[in-house]
Amino acid sequence: MFRLFLLHLRNILGDQAILIFCLLVPLGYPLLYSFIYTGEVVREVPVAVVDDCRSAESRDFVRRVDATADVVVTAYCADMAEAEELVRKQLVCGIVAIPKKFSHQLARGEQVAVEVYADMAGMLYYKAVMTGCTNVSLAMGAEMKVQRAGGTTKQQDDVAKAPIVYEEVSLFNPQVGFAAFLIPAVLMLIIQQTFILGVGIGVGTARERGLYRRYTPLANSFTGLFGSVAARCMAFLVLYIPVSVYVTGIVPYFFDLPQLVRPLDLAVLLAPFLLACFGFANCLGVFVRHREYVIPLIVFTSVPMLFISGISWPGSAVPEVWKWVSRLFPSTFGVQGFIALNNMGASLSDIRPQLLALSAQAIVYFLCAMGVERWLIVRSKRSAHD
Amino acid sequence: MPILTIFGREMRRILRQPVYLFAMVVAPLFCCLFFTTLMGEGLPEKLPAGVVDEDATATSRNVRKNLDAFQMVNITRNYANVTEARQAMQRGEIYGFYLLPRGMENEANRQRIPTVSFYTNSSFLVAGSLLYRDMRTMSELASGAATRSVLYAKGATERQAMAYLQPIVVDMHPLGNAQLNYNVYLTNLLVPGVLGLFVFMMTVYSFGTELKFGTGRQLMRRAEGSAMAAVYGKLFAQFGVFVLTGTVVVLWLYGVLHFPHAGGMLRLWGLMVLFVLACQGLGLTFFTLLPTLRLGLSTASLWGVISFSICGMSFPVMAMHPTLQGLAWLFPLRHYYVLYVATALHGFPLLSLPWNVAVLFVFALLPLLCLRRLAGVMQHGRYEP
Repeated sequence: MFRLFLLHLRNILGDQAILIFCLLVPLGYPLLYSFIYTGEVVREVPVAVVDDCRSAESRDFVRRVDATADVVVTAYCADMAEAEELVRKQLVCGIVAIPKKFSHQLARGEQVAVEVYADMAGMLYYKAVMTGCTNVSLAMGAEMKVQRAGGTTKQQDDVAKAPIVYEEVSLFNPQVGFAAFLIPAVLMLIIQQTFILGVGIGVGTARERGLYRRYTPLANSFTGLFGSVAARCMAFLVLYIPVSVYVTGIVPYFFDLPQLVRPLDLAVLLAPFLLACFGFANCLGVFVRHREYVIPLIVFTSVPMLFISGISWPGSAVPEVWKWVSRLFPSTFGVQGFIALNNMGASLSDIRPQLLALSAQAIVYFLCAMGVERWLIVRSKRSAHD
Repeated sequence: MPILTIFGREMRRILRQPVYLFAMVVAPLFCCLFFTTLMGEGLPEKLPAGVVDEDATATSRNVRKNLDAFQMVNITRNYANVTEARQAMQRGEIYGFYLLPRGMENEANRQRIPTVSFYTNSSFLVAGSLLYRDMRTMSELASGAATRSVLYAKGATERQAMAYLQPIVVDMHPLGNAQLNYNVYLTNLLVPGVLGLFVFMMTVYSFGTELKFGTGRQLMRRAEGSAMAAVYGKLFAQFGVFVLTGTVVVLWLYGVLHFPHAGGMLRLWGLMVLFVLACQGLGLTFFTLLPTLRLGLSTASLWGVISFSICGMSFPVMAMHPTLQGLAWLFPLRHYYVLYVATALHGFPLLSLPWNVAVLFVFALLPLLCLRRLAGVMQHGRYEP
């Protein structure tokens, strides 16, 4: 078995394609992704203003909107047609339209509505424009309430503003950033996908070159098959243990992402995750007739797997059918477990369901991998006889 | 006509090798079905949330009841204290909770201004943000309700009371996607993104395997030595299949599911065709520059996967580093996204953004520059594992 292990290790290290996917990609991709999302939040979304009122109050409103971090007023338009033209050229992401009777109605103590149009090209534009304008309307409204209530003491003024105040706490991702939300999930997915690609290329190469014929003596006993799969597993783990430590431990540190996990807990999660990934990848060997086959087969699955893992799209809203499908993939539980440990500082007992699922996957997929191994060996023997 | 010979030859290859049909038809259409059913709700509703009711009064129960009635919120449990609620959050059982502190009702009645708090889990950005919105609205309403009862007691009408409570309201008009439908917002780009990824990969794959299986020379012979016929014969055959898939996608999204298409379905179909051509051009360029299957496919998958992030559909390009803002121009999906917004959401013709259309055309014409070198590779190139 040790000889087999060395053989696999030599094959891996001597194969440029495997090295690209198992070293270069996991080393480089996380850096690239973190670089893309490192801005975390969208600030200063450009909007156009159509001020039909042109009063001190309306100018005050616009000035305050401009002063928010979310929005910047880049254009003052004479009418809606002019503002729409700017939306068409995608120069602004929203329009703030103040009605003619703005100050008139305010003076009469009537409620007045500001019309805000947001480009739905992206949810973050909508969010920024809405947050900016709502905050200003509430702040100005509170001042007016105080004025109209005509209280005498500060306490009366405060009650007039809001008899019950509220505070909002954004847990585990205080700046509500995009990188802190997406990157941890992507990191686990990168480990799984590159692992599958690497193992797949390895299996494909062995099939292409008829290497499975050499293992014929192993095919007839449980221990022989076990040894054969375990040797390959160990050879890949030599590569993947440092890679996964880098991806999950060092990358978040580089980019100041949340990192609340204790190293030992992370190891407890990674162990079954890596084994499950390996077994899963080996089972796909059935489909991989040639070494490059696995690339078009696997690369695209990253996107559906990210969505099905319950991060981008809330897990509670995933339809039941897809929930069942998601349980097939190590990434689903790996991502959930990693986010809980890394982002939310959960303890191992909090992620027990995920750990159990990963362990079950690891065992089942390993046994399946042995079956696949046997099938490949028998098949190669038959084709050799032909 | 040698080009027709090659076209026929490529068609046979596509039909015979299962990987082609999988990558060109089955997988993209599967993704289309997957995303549209996954996000079939449009906007995730009834997100599980908790309440920590330390006050346990009529007012606090009322707040809980009202909060539960919100579209996004589903109060699944009461928690005894903040620690318990936080632990439930860490286990992923709830996405947020609302804290009603002890003595809230009493203090409000005595005008002592109590503070309520709400906690949302922003590790799940979508769920957290949606809960945040509803919980904040609830807090404004709770505050307003306290004032309103005083106003009614003083004899104010409802209209007067509302004007007093909220002098300025913001009327939001989301342009082009009025229901804030996430299916519309994401699927419209995820599916073309997957298709583009496959166009990149299969273009490289189809030329790379000619070398791998040693059929490159035979290809040139059948093309009677014409690089034009060899390359375009292959590209046209793949183009046909990809456009067929693209057409089904367009029909499914805009014809069956009625996603917004203010500018008409035909324009979106035209955009899809141009996008496929551009991706083919770029894919062929990858292989011409790196004429080994392994490097070509790695580049193709890198480009295809990065497209999803750098096109700006989820995280806007304007918030990225200036270097990336420039790089984004090299990704067809970026232009697809910009043009899709213009035509599907805003209802303008594609040519209202001529630069983006022009860049896609340039990508589509790239194969012309590759012909000579590619012919050489097919004649003399060797497969490197």
